[in-house]
Amino acid sequence: MVTPAPTLSELLAVTLARTFADDEVGFTGLVTGGAAAIYGTAIPLAGMMLAKETHAPGLTILLAGWSHNPDLARLDALPDAEFDETLYDLPCEAQMTGYPYWAVKRGDIDFGFSSAVQVDQVGNINSVCVGDYRRPTVRLVGPILQPEHMAIFGREYVMMPHHERRNFVARVDFVSGVGYPGGLAGRRALGLDGGGPECVVTPRCIFDFDREAGRMRVRSIHPGVTPESLRHATGFDLGDLSRVPVTPPPTPEELDILRQHVDPRRVLLPG
Amino acid sequence: MSSPRSKLGSLVDAVGLIPDGTRLALGGFAVYQHPMALVRELVRQGRRDLTVVGHVNGNDVDLLAGAGCLRRVESSYVGLEKYGLALNFRRRVEAGELLMVDYPEVASFDRFRASRDGLTFWPCGYLGGTDILTHNAEIRAFDCPITGRRLHAIPPADPDVVVIHAVAADERGNVVVPPRRLLPQSLDITMAGAADTVIVTVESVLSRGDLRRHSRWVEIPSYRVAMVVLAPWGAHPCPVLGRYRGDDAHFREYVAASSTPDGFAGYLRTYVTGPRDHWGYLDLLGAERLTRLQEIGTW
Repeated sequence: MVTPAPTLSELLAVTLARTFADDEVGFTGLVTGGAAAIYGTAIPLAGMMLAKETHAPGLTILLAGWSHNPDLARLDALPDAEFDETLYDLPCEAQMTGYPYWAVKRGDIDFGFSSAVQVDQVGNINSVCVGDYRRPTVRLVGPILQPEHMAIFGREYVMMPHHERRNFVARVDFVSGVGYPGGLAGRRALGLDGGGPECVVTPRCIFDFDREAGRMRVRSIHPGVTPESLRHATGFDLGDLSRVPVTPPPTPEELDILRQHVDPRRVLLPG
Repeated sequence: MSSPRSKLGSLVDAVGLIPDGTRLALGGFAVYQHPMALVRELVRQGRRDLTVVGHVNGNDVDLLAGAGCLRRVESSYVGLEKYGLALNFRRRVEAGELLMVDYPEVASFDRFRASRDGLTFWPCGYLGGTDILTHNAEIRAFDCPITGRRLHAIPPADPDVVVIHAVAADERGNVVVPPRRLLPQSLDITMAGAADTVIVTVESVLSRGDLRRHSRWVEIPSYRVAMVVLAPWGAHPCPVLGRYRGDDAHFREYVAASSTPDGFAGYLRTYVTGPRDHWGYLDLLGAERLTRLQEIGTW
């Protein structure tokens, strides 16, 4: 029997899973709607569950800020509301009646996931507006929890469902989550002693950061994506891409656990 | 023997406590448990120049924005979650007709904690580098007097009037918030501590005896409450946890209508200014539609 090749969603879930350590706490909200839901919620959840099934059994999944280690295998569909009955009635380890402030504010959360409309080359993200703040071309939802994610959490995975020039810009129109302006020294000067974006995950590649220089760099390019198309889709200079590797594929074992145990009914990751 | 004054009033009475220009806080969160019956009455009464100070807002702010009732909004989010962007809000801000003041989410909660705790600011250590600071002169930098660390003082929410929607209260104003609750209901309790004028719309009004039997679930005692308004299904189309689900079909109709100003004017005529009051709104929706939204109803 031939195992079907990994989908992009599976590749990203496995890539993320390898970076989560045992006994960490990972925070994800319930992002809704098509690709945004897959990047913002489904891939992070699948990655965290895979890590729990393999090298990180003590990982805590904190979903929507209040449900600890929910029994996601019981779901018929990915929940689409953070505070309604479906998630309320889903069995879990600890259900909070508010955000656990020790986690959100004191710093117990080791990593979180953000989505944004724009990200720039120092890793700032924007979900507030496109264009001038007072007369925006597009007014978006607002900063929400992004300032907290990008400053208080140990590290942040920026999950971008779209990778086009309008999303990857030289300078975001509004900084709602702070990257590395001026590098690590720049962050410290802003009063941000820890945290910040760890990597930026897109349908074309994975970025990480030269933190000292405060600059995003391409860590790996997904199979089938050419350096030329990546440059074309990115609104800032990517430097020399000739030595950038292809995103490493899942092992057969990782893929098997993901398909048989984490998401057997394809609730999280569509085929 | 004398008995304490009843605080029961109508939605019209409640809106009488919210004149033009009021700094108003509305309970609920995103698309959950907003006091929508009160919001619709604000539109019927033609309120203008309101400021909504909130934390995570949704169709509450969007409806008021679309009806032209708002001058200013302070929040971390105005959107409709799975139903999409808040299109009236978006249109008004893009046109420069509505002033938006952005705050982070947890800092927005803290602004209500500051008001509740009688403080003149709340300290915040994670705002450096954000454009929230660029556009908000009311947030002031200061050095922590203990450690010298650079912090920011965020102003308290300080609403003139708070309105929340709860499952039950007695006519004195003792408000039941059952243990079946999540972040939105918990934040309502915080918000109800943050102003001198608190209005509570409720699914049901309890007798004094029933209230005393559920007193362990009273999270807001009567002296905090200025008025109680009976408004069953008063959060519709939002859900009330444990009572009824959100009305997905209505939300989708709302979003479709709000894609143009004319479409939204039609929505307002049909669902807000058309019905004479909240009871007329419920008659328009009909018993079958409402009944189908009911939850199991356990506390």
